[in-house]
Amino acid sequence: MNRTLYPAIFAAIVTLILTSMMLGIKLKTEGINLTLHSAEGSTWTMIFVATAVVFLFQLFRNQLTGLVKLPTLPTVESMLPEGKKGDRIKTLAVCFIVAAALIWPFYASRGAVDLATLALIYIMLGLGLNIVVGLAGLLDLGYVAFYAVGAYTYALLSLYYDVSFWVALPICGLLAALFGFLLGFPVLRLRGDYLAIVTLGFGEIIRILLLNWTDVTGGPNGISRIPKPDIFGLEFSRRAKDPDNMPFHEFFGIAYDPSYKVIFLYLLALLLVLVTVYVINRLTRMPIGRAWEALREDDIACRSLGLNPTVVKLTAFTIGASFAGFAGCFFSARQGFISPESFVFIESAIILAIVVLGGMGSQLGVILAAIILTVLPELAREFQEYRMLMFGLLMVFMMIWKPQGLVPMKRPHLELSTGDKAK
Amino acid sequence: MQEQLLYFVQQLLNGLTIGSTYALIAIGYTMVYGIIGMINFAHGEVYMIGTYVAFIVIAGLTYLGLESLPLVFLAALLVSMMVAATYGFTIERVAYRPLRGGPRLLALISAIGMSIFLQNFVRLAQGSRDIAMPSLVTGGWTFGSPDTFEASLSYMQVIIFIVTLVTMGALTLFITKSKWGRACRSCSQDLGMTNLLGINTNNIIALTFVVGAALAAVAGLLLGMYYGVVNPYIGFIAGLKAFTAAVLGGIGSIPGAMLGGILLGTTEAMTSAYFSSEYKDVVAFGLLILVLLFRPSGLLGKPEVEKI
Amino acid sequence: MNFKKTLLGLGISTMMLGATMAQAEIKVALAGPVTGPVAQYGDMQFIGAKMAIEQINKNGGVNGEKLVGVVYDDACDPKQATAVANKIVNDGIQMVVGHLCSSSTEPASDIYEDEGILMITAASTSPSITEKGYQLVFRTIGLDSLQGPFAANHIINSIKPQRVAVIHDKQQYGEGLATSVKGELDKAGVNIVMFEGVTSGDKDFSALIGKLKKENVDFVYYGGYHPELGLILRQSKEKGFDAQFMGPEGVGNPDITAIAGEASEGLLVTLPNSFDQDPKNAALVDAFKAKNEDPSGAFVFPAYSAVQIMADSIEAVGEVDTYKMAEHMRANNFATPTGELAFDAKGDLKEFSFVVYNWHKDGSKTAVK
Repeated sequence: MNRTLYPAIFAAIVTLILTSMMLGIKLKTEGINLTLHSAEGSTWTMIFVATAVVFLFQLFRNQLTGLVKLPTLPTVESMLPEGKKGDRIKTLAVCFIVAAALIWPFYASRGAVDLATLALIYIMLGLGLNIVVGLAGLLDLGYVAFYAVGAYTYALLSLYYDVSFWVALPICGLLAALFGFLLGFPVLRLRGDYLAIVTLGFGEIIRILLLNWTDVTGGPNGISRIPKPDIFGLEFSRRAKDPDNMPFHEFFGIAYDPSYKVIFLYLLALLLVLVTVYVINRLTRMPIGRAWEALREDDIACRSLGLNPTVVKLTAFTIGASFAGFAGCFFSARQGFISPESFVFIESAIILAIVVLGGMGSQLGVILAAIILTVLPELAREFQEYRMLMFGLLMVFMMIWKPQGLVPMKRPHLELSTGDKAK
Repeated sequence: MQEQLLYFVQQLLNGLTIGSTYALIAIGYTMVYGIIGMINFAHGEVYMIGTYVAFIVIAGLTYLGLESLPLVFLAALLVSMMVAATYGFTIERVAYRPLRGGPRLLALISAIGMSIFLQNFVRLAQGSRDIAMPSLVTGGWTFGSPDTFEASLSYMQVIIFIVTLVTMGALTLFITKSKWGRACRSCSQDLGMTNLLGINTNNIIALTFVVGAALAAVAGLLLGMYYGVVNPYIGFIAGLKAFTAAVLGGIGSIPGAMLGGILLGTTEAMTSAYFSSEYKDVVAFGLLILVLLFRPSGLLGKPEVEKI
Repeated sequence: MNFKKTLLGLGISTMMLGATMAQAEIKVALAGPVTGPVAQYGDMQFIGAKMAIEQINKNGGVNGEKLVGVVYDDACDPKQATAVANKIVNDGIQMVVGHLCSSSTEPASDIYEDEGILMITAASTSPSITEKGYQLVFRTIGLDSLQGPFAANHIINSIKPQRVAVIHDKQQYGEGLATSVKGELDKAGVNIVMFEGVTSGDKDFSALIGKLKKENVDFVYYGGYHPELGLILRQSKEKGFDAQFMGPEGVGNPDITAIAGEASEGLLVTLPNSFDQDPKNAALVDAFKAKNEDPSGAFVFPAYSAVQIMADSIEAVGEVDTYKMAEHMRANNFATPTGELAFDAKGDLKEFSFVVYNWHKDGSKTAVK
């Protein structure tokens, strides 16, 4: 008993100190004076209950650990049959999901479609960051900088040169990739932790520059009235802005319905996501994709095998950045208004949380996580206040409990048929 | 001419003040990194919590009618160091220890999660508004003539210099002379070997976090008294700057943290003074990138040899 | 949408036939931050609008129909603001009081204009919101571009400083105001020796103050909010820099005294008229106090007026036709608790008056004559 009693008392005191100082006593400014308040009775009760729980848990932890076990999640992979049959089912499932995703907006409410569009943007960002963090194992804390580059590229091009969305889209991707290259070139020689802080600093630099360069970027005012994408010159507004153009509904002779625009944006985002998924899926099977993962697993072994780590890292960094550029381009078109406050560090943290929750390296996981993290706060608006708190807790918890994420990554691999055993 | 010189001295003093506090926070990063090779991203939040606790103690004692400034200062120092140390200890125990030995990326992400969690925990517990406190120490020296330019040095700035220097000295003594300090250094050399030699490395690592957190609380109290305001977001910005300072000086090196902090503080002050305060953060981060390009392990850091 | 309109038209025609309909509802969306760091300002807007709805309903509603306020939370985040706007379209609501932050109002107003929804903001002061030539976007609060020249006027005529510094916090609100003040001062030939931005959220302004001191500045105009100016005042006093400071409504809040202490004595602040001090509004102030709500917030009365103007326009037009309502709003004057209001072609108030206040170290203020 004594062996657990002292640690238990110690843990209880620690809990009491942690909670009572922050939750139990509140600082408030009343009028112009600083005052101290004790929290309500219920809070104190909770503090003491928490302390008691910790004490009892520590006291009986040896007995308890046998009883309580964290459940393991059933993996999607384990539910699918293996082998060729499994592949066919997977292909069918993917086709079905894509078809469903294409059709449902026509039957769903406008708000839901709009939310889905936002989720798709985060999917795109998550997939892009996944290349850098999940596959190549480089912690990028300034990913939002490339997102900002993409968003501002389209906004500025349309503002000053009247460039249409479709022309701007590839330029956004290229420019973001260029920024990724320019940043990556010098800093990728640094080890992981240094890289994290340098990318974080870079993200801040980009944001501050956008904020200070008022003459061009509008500074804190941002850029508004960014045109929405059109389809073959057909606009989705009630009246065409350009007299040469014809609105979509007039061309097809149907009544104007504002939800067409929302559905169109959704479908466009879906298309971009599908392309992203396809491209990344291919990349991971190519030598370069394998090199990313190899480098993540063992830097030194890679070098001895003749891979140039800087070049490999640089490709991951550049390609990852270009997807953020595409996402940014679409974001500014959808939003119609951007300002530097959309590109703060916390946005990088949310994208990182998506990658971590989904499972580093896993595409399906990232997609699921992006949907969960965008839709959940909408469904439970009362918890809006607690959203970031939950994100933080989730990141710590996932790392300890299931570092491979909700849907762990499965490497594409070939198995040699070993005769009887395979059958 | 003399006016220019006084102006320069004034801005140098301003930079040194900011720099010393960066250095105090940076030590926490550097100690943890030196021993277990991970960035404790939540360190800035511990500093923020330390400031809150200092405010609570000062407000409480003032309310109870305690007038003596040294006593209030000492009480606030002890309590905030203790609470911050408890936070540091718990953070290590909950978020980092289970991940020790695993890939570095996992611990780093866990640390970022912890930082976000703590920031929002305090935001929900104490509100997001600025909490302000009147100055406890007022007054200072001035030199130069009021007609041209008058440089000033407040007593509080002097207190910050002295406390920072004393703390740094005590820490250096602790690390070089004491038994625990030797154990710490031994851990940073070779964790596994130290363990084999019969030193409980878990306790030494916990000690590192406790000492780092207590130093952050010292910085919290000093800066809380100097600026007189606190909100849940100060930890992130201060942590970012302090970490930059630690990396600049060479992470893992205690004199490096001091040098990095002061260099960063003076750079910021000089940018504001002779260029524009709009770009001081750009220059600060730019300096970091530049230093890392030419000395990837910082100014005083030892280049790390990777072992297979 | 069209369907709903016919339905409404049908409802009105039935009423005209003399049939007593079950009391129909007219929904008004109240959009602004319920959560997030500026939720306290959102509250001001919500209590004002809700009070107006309550009182209009008590007096028999609008054309016999009850007004219903539906609150939407945008957390002052532009992304969520577009989501909220789409939800409002989705829910078939045709009138919005909101949003609060200019950066939220900006993208949301694009959607409202497209979808024929009437929007009145009671809090967004950025001039660019009404510069797009929109038909359906209005506001019942003064613009930054009005407050700037007003402050500049006071500086030029009453203070007559020798060396002026204009500082801002690089936010939309602060920089907009600072630029506007600087423009006016330049025109009047006032000697501006410094125009600089600081980082919002920063704590150390000693380098900036050293620079102000070196430039021998005798007057500082600060565009921004109270946390930064509070610290600038406090540190100025410690560094022995004593110039006259002036700021906009964003600094005029007792918290600045909590931060700056004695250093806040003598600060000049431009604020809108305190509508709750107006004796004409005494009954309304009592109504707020009866509900234990604070009527002194800057956006409470403008939000009240916004709802009232909407109700008046519906009554005048006879139906909820937003385009006709907008036409009516541009053509007429409205008697509201915030005074006799009239809109210009852009949708801004033709007149909105500010007052210069002298701030005191106990957090109170007196009007400067």
